Amino acid sequence: MREKRTLNLTNKERMNLPHQEMILMEAEERVCSFDEVPIGYNHEQAVMEASRCLQCRKPECIKACPVGIDIPAFIRLIEQGKPADAAKKIRETNFLPAACGRVCPQDKQCQAVCVVGRRNLPVGIGDLERYAADYERKYKTLEYPDIPEDTGKKIAIVGSGPAGLSAAYELRIRGHQVVVFEAFHRAGGVLIYGIPRFRLPIDIIDEDIKFLENIGVEFVYNMIIGKILSLDDLLGEEGFDAAFIGTGAGLPRLLDVPGANANGVYSANEYLTRIYLMEADKFPEFATPLYQGKKVAVIGAGNTAMDSMRTAKRLGADVTCYYRRSIEEAPARSEELKHAQQEMINWKWLSNPVEFITNEDNFITHIKCEIMELSEPDDSGRRIPVATGKFFTDECDTVVMSLGCSVNPILPATDREIKINDWGVITVDGETCETSKKGVFAGGDAITGGSTVILAMGQAKIAAASIHDFLMGKTKDKEEESLEMV
Amino acid sequence: MTERINTIISNLNLDTTELVCEALDNIIKLENLSQEEKILLTEALTAIFYHHDFGDTNDLERLIIRTEKLIGNFGIDVLPFLIEELINADSESAAYLGKCISFSEVKGIEAILAAWEEHDGDDFAIINIIQALASFTVPEVSKAAPKLIASTRSNSPHVKAMALSTIGVLSLNISMDKLDDKVRKSMFNAVFSLLGDRKPLVRQNAVKTLGKMHKKAILTRDQEGKVHSSFTAMLGKDGEHNWDREFIVRHEIEHYIQLFTPKKTLADRYKQSFLILNKHELCHNTFHYEVEAPFIAKKIKPGQFIIVRHSTQSERIPLSVCGWDAEKGSIQIIINSVGKTSTEINNLKPGNKFADMVGPLGVRSRVTKYNGTCVVIGGGYGVGAIIPTARELKAIGNRVIGVIGARSKNLLLMVEELKSACDEVIITTNDGSEGMTGFVTTALEEIMNRETVEHVLAIGPVPMMEAVSNMTREKKIETYVSLNAIMVDGTGMCGACRVTIGGKVKFACIDGPDFNGHKVDFGELVKRQKMFVNEEKRAFEALEI
Ligand SMILES: Cc1cc2nc3c(=O)[nH]c(=O)nc-3n(C[C@H](O)[C@H](O)[C@H](O)COP(=O)(O)OP(=O)(O)OC[C@H]3O[C@@H](n4cnc5c(N)ncnc54)[C@H](O)[C@@H]3O)c2cc1C
Ligand SMILES: Cc1cc2nc3c(=O)[nH]c(=O)nc-3n(C[C@H](O)[C@H](O)[C@H](O)COP(=O)(O)OP(=O)(O)OC[C@H]3O[C@@H](n4cnc5c(N)ncnc54)[C@H](O)[C@@H]3O)c2cc1C
Ligand code: SF4
Ligand code: FES
Repeated sequence: MREKRTLNLTNKERMNLPHQEMILMEAEERVCSFDEVPIGYNHEQAVMEASRCLQCRKPECIKACPVGIDIPAFIRLIEQGKPADAAKKIRETNFLPAACGRVCPQDKQCQAVCVVGRRNLPVGIGDLERYAADYERKYKTLEYPDIPEDTGKKIAIVGSGPAGLSAAYELRIRGHQVVVFEAFHRAGGVLIYGIPRFRLPIDIIDEDIKFLENIGVEFVYNMIIGKILSLDDLLGEEGFDAAFIGTGAGLPRLLDVPGANANGVYSANEYLTRIYLMEADKFPEFATPLYQGKKVAVIGAGNTAMDSMRTAKRLGADVTCYYRRSIEEAPARSEELKHAQQEMINWKWLSNPVEFITNEDNFITHIKCEIMELSEPDDSGRRIPVATGKFFTDECDTVVMSLGCSVNPILPATDREIKINDWGVITVDGETCETSKKGVFAGGDAITGGSTVILAMGQAKIAAASIHDFLMGKTKDKEEESLEMV
Repeated sequence: MTERINTIISNLNLDTTELVCEALDNIIKLENLSQEEKILLTEALTAIFYHHDFGDTNDLERLIIRTEKLIGNFGIDVLPFLIEELINADSESAAYLGKCISFSEVKGIEAILAAWEEHDGDDFAIINIIQALASFTVPEVSKAAPKLIASTRSNSPHVKAMALSTIGVLSLNISMDKLDDKVRKSMFNAVFSLLGDRKPLVRQNAVKTLGKMHKKAILTRDQEGKVHSSFTAMLGKDGEHNWDREFIVRHEIEHYIQLFTPKKTLADRYKQSFLILNKHELCHNTFHYEVEAPFIAKKIKPGQFIIVRHSTQSERIPLSVCGWDAEKGSIQIIINSVGKTSTEINNLKPGNKFADMVGPLGVRSRVTKYNGTCVVIGGGYGVGAIIPTARELKAIGNRVIGVIGARSKNLLLMVEELKSACDEVIITTNDGSEGMTGFVTTALEEIMNRETVEHVLAIGPVPMMEAVSNMTREKKIETYVSLNAIMVDGTGMCGACRVTIGGKVKFACIDGPDFNGHKVDFGELVKRQKMFVNEEKRAFEALEI
């Protein structure tokens, strides 16, 4: 017997209920502040949106979620007016619900397969996740998990991005001692120094870090593993039983065109780090400077590009996006693209930068682009941009290159046993996430070359489970050995 | 007119939230209300909040949402009624009223603080008010902190005890770490000092509150240590007080003392203090520091550098390391005041700490056995930076000549230290006030004329490194220069430090800082160093005011 639902409706009626839109801050208002753009659902909206879920018997959405959140179950709890329990349900599989509700590409994952989406807009799974998480934060309903008896095993986590944090959490709740080594002075990885505050308020991450600290995860900052301590040091002299690498993909790709080293030309990493990690927007109260002119050119159309554009806009610039393909190919999350469009960004699609023109002091003054056109679709349906030989030149005084990242070489370069592929990506066993070095596991952008928060978390979860097996199995080995000795 | 509202209000007495909400929704739909109706409605609402048996917070929230709408539509406000009730309520009702008031969040806090102002001195009312504050979960409740702290010094033990209990609950509920450091500290001190209060009731509450503060991890290690020793002492005071009443305090302490027992964590081992052990002036505006950083000291190699951030608001700047003592766990750096950050650092004193220090960064300098002479050249802080490499070059059997360049005698630094690392040291000054008159290139030329030079390392101002590279280019003498590009992270993450070497883009922080001087695009480096001149000037001028 299935539980009675709050609203007594047929599935057909549910499918026809209107999708609830989160209330957004007005575009004119938001470009003047770093406050969060969507304000969120209120109680009524959340219940209404939750009522749209059909509570499928074989839910597709769970399968499409990289960490397998029990989506219908938490939605049901929201519908019943129990958001605190909904948050608890999500936490069974995902301990960063407030962040994931905000930044996950739901339109490509759970919401892409939602049955309601076949006839109407899919259930707003991400928005509901966010609602439950925000309720939990607002009313402090979070309960701490019970940590089992100390296993006596020590694990070193390298990097405190989503991958490192998840691995730390999963291992800690299995009773291991966990130390996270972070290169920067603050934990969170891209969540802190990349994703803007108007998408993911920084307090959320700080609270999640505090939560981990309170359950006994330890953090050490200013430690670049590979430089100050090697993996061999950690597993040898320092006495760790296993290590997890979650160092991300922090090596920016740059354009190789004349003027790429001009003053005022940043990688998106540098631009966003100066602003979000070092708080250059509050210069000179915070001492890190930022040279930001009036006309900003952002190159690329992925998430990072959208973030750079919307950041520049908030710092008062006139912002233009240059991308060598068309809007259809733009890799950004659809919501980000939509929000950027609302925020009065100028778009130059099919424009490929070929030169940054500078003045005699090496400061950028103009950007020169070649106009591209798209080829006929090839066999795989992809349309490739081809040069037309026609050019145009625009004035600009700042350029942000947002062309993606490769994997940071510091760690693999200092440990020959860690195998990498031709693109610098750390290779791991597909099932266990173990690297080529015994006792060392990896996950996140370091093994993918750049993907998403939730995939990083999913891999970290797998790695944590393997580390647990590896460690507890190891104990067994030892016992067996000693038995044999007898 | 009042007829219609009376009917609806009578529905408000129903006892399921569902029906009450429905009745309220009907009221919300009304066009406008007369003054009389408003009063009726306000009283009815107050009664609901006061008497209704809420299943859970969700029920309460649903009522609050509707009440907010009523306030918005008709300007009805139940707060004054709730507050008035609160002042005269018994303690159980007070807790309940507090919860209702807390749903008005910031407005509720303001109303309570105003009532506190008004009833100051009326201990009975104050106790209720303090208790009500414990229901709030919004961070704005921290506005009440000063008054709460003040009440821990009240004459009434009951006010003290209630203040303690509320501080404890709030510590658990709201992020005290958002509180100003000073307030947080005085809050701790207030609670801590009450461990010595005359009344066991107060002492007992102080113990409990400290336990709660500990749970939320808002105490510093030092504070935890202080609490631990007080607890230990208090447990020991057997018999000194009336046993019956002291028992409750001891019982509480026994419950909590475990939490405060200092424990060594795994991470402690890796926490470097970055404490300045000593500092001395080398020459005008240039200081030498020894800083505690045991892990860096253990791993650093000649030519590697560090990045420091001296305070949590400062920028990260790269610095060379001119010496280290792995056993003592310290490193030595030289800082020359050129702008805001370096000037601020030079105002630090022994005993101060750097907020962050990360390293060793970059690739070590090349050190091998050469047949010919090695010449190491330094200008400014570079004189310090070349010493570790010079020492290693010499240690493996090279002939090493050090060259120092300065504008004038009074700007020379680290001469004796360099002498101890080299076979010979030549000093050049532009004005001839010491050693050879001229530039480092004058000395280099002389050395090249008299012996075979096979390896040159130059660290200092860009024009100096460029001039040295130009001089050795023709004779194809291996020449390394250490590039001081502007940096942020120092790990290859941002690309701020990019330099052009033989037409290729390299990152000074991970591919360098040493590069083949014959291939460096010095012109670009100089211009890139000026990327932020205007901003830096602004910051520096602000500093001097
Ligand atoms: C601007 C921007 C916007 C994005 N937007 C989204 C989005 O909307 N949704 C989404 O799902 N994904 C988004 N992403 C991608 C997402 O952030 C990443 O996939 C995710 O953060 C990867 O997590 P990670 O833990 O593998 O690495 P990271 O988050 O990169 O963290 C790695 C951490 O390791 C540290 N580290 C590196 N090397 C060392 C070392 N040797 N020793 C010690 N510490 C080290 C780093 O300092 C860093 O803190 C975005 C990325 C960027 C840059
Ligand atoms: C690998 C490396 C090692 C270094 N070692 C030392 C050292 O041991 N001792 C020391 O005092 N300094 C050293 N520097 C230089 C030091 O980092 C800069 O002097 C510092 O960043 C200036 O900060 P500021 O805020 O005081 O000055 P700012 O106000 O930022 O700048 C003042 C002036 O200094 C120039 N400047 C800014 N950054 C640099 C830079 N990175 N290099 C050279 N000039 C710069 C600017 O053009 C400006 O005109 C090193 C730099 C690098 C890259
Ligand atoms: S697929 Fe859609 S309708 Fe079905 S359970 Fe998941 S969210 Fe609900
Ligand atoms: S300082 Fe950021 S890449 Fe070198």
